[in-house]
Amino acid sequence: MQKDHYDVVVVGTGAAGLSAALYTGRYRMNVLVVGGKFGGETSSAGVIYNYPGVKDIDGYDLMKIMKEQAESVGAEIIDGFVEKIEKRGACFFVNIKDKSEIRANTVIFATGTERKKLGLPNEEALRSKGIHYCTTCDGPLYVEKTIIVVGGGDAAIKGANLSAEYASKIYILARGNSLRAEPINLERMKAFGGKITILYETEVKEIIGTNKFEKIKLSKPFNGSDELSADGLFVEIGAEPDITLPNALGITLDEHGYIKANALMQTNIEGIYVAGDAVNLFGTFKQDITAACMGAVAATSAYNFRKIHGDLCEIHSIPIKSESAVAS
Amino acid sequence: MDTQVKIYTTPTCVYCKMTKEFFTENGVKYEELDVTKDAVARNEMIERSGQMGVPVIDIGGELIVGFNKGKLAELLGIKV
Repeated sequence: MQKDHYDVVVVGTGAAGLSAALYTGRYRMNVLVVGGKFGGETSSAGVIYNYPGVKDIDGYDLMKIMKEQAESVGAEIIDGFVEKIEKRGACFFVNIKDKSEIRANTVIFATGTERKKLGLPNEEALRSKGIHYCTTCDGPLYVEKTIIVVGGGDAAIKGANLSAEYASKIYILARGNSLRAEPINLERMKAFGGKITILYETEVKEIIGTNKFEKIKLSKPFNGSDELSADGLFVEIGAEPDITLPNALGITLDEHGYIKANALMQTNIEGIYVAGDAVNLFGTFKQDITAACMGAVAATSAYNFRKIHGDLCEIHSIPIKSESAVAS
Repeated sequence: MDTQVKIYTTPTCVYCKMTKEFFTENGVKYEELDVTKDAVARNEMIERSGQMGVPVIDIGGELIVGFNKGKLAELLGIKV
């Protein structure tokens, strides 16, 4: 049951958010976790082999365990979209779509990232009509078909490996002259032999198709042609954070556009913390283990802040809210 | 008579899992068609939905693409 005041509101239900929920719950804080896409990127990451303590597990199943663990210590986890967060005095006022406004002493952003698109004409029109952004979801649909995977990172290679179980031919388009995947995933890719062909230093210049994806124009010719036909195209070129809420709050970003934080996951705004893929604390190394680690640290910082600042938000919330209402 | 519910899935699709869990939680009986194994179902899904993303859910003849809890609840008369 939703209350009107929480010690901490966590925005995001991925590995970072659920880890923060577990720790804040164990600190006996009242915690509300709000997220739109349950499990974040992990839920659609396929099988996870490198989360310590778990030999192998589907990403979605791992997120469900984290959710159950957080709920067992009192965390309230809801589907929802946070539209606005405002700081008034010592309180944060959180607006969740179709729900009443709630107050919080602290906020943890675990908002993750959104997958990048190619930004080419035709891309949106052909979405799900041959163009996809989730290999674990739609890759297996291309049984005995030819597909193109765009990207040279770990997600692209993992996606190609999964799809190779079903497709007859896969082309990987890598912008650079090497792949940036984990060696173990590269080894697995090599085991597919000639089924997977890598086109290095090659990008998509144009998407061609009417009602259905047909082919792409390449930035560099392959086999004497600057066009490559396929049944499907999967875009796995990384992700970027959604910074709408942090920007509105005046949170400082780093030079790459991620939320800036110190080692205690504190942002420049007192009472606001960040965890997970939305922050670049470990550079481009973004894993479940780093997300969960940051969630635990952010939770501890929020707990310490709450202890020091006691009930300031509760004490001042009514007059602050009234003044704000009069001013508006 | 109960509304007939069919879901077209792939084994690794997270939104397919979310949809099936929603059905189970709400006591909705459904027929699952794994389009990686069933070529007839795969072609039927592509032809009927005009696209190649899963899940596709058929509720009494009405198609929904993707896991849309609100829409599913509305068509099945479930309060969420």
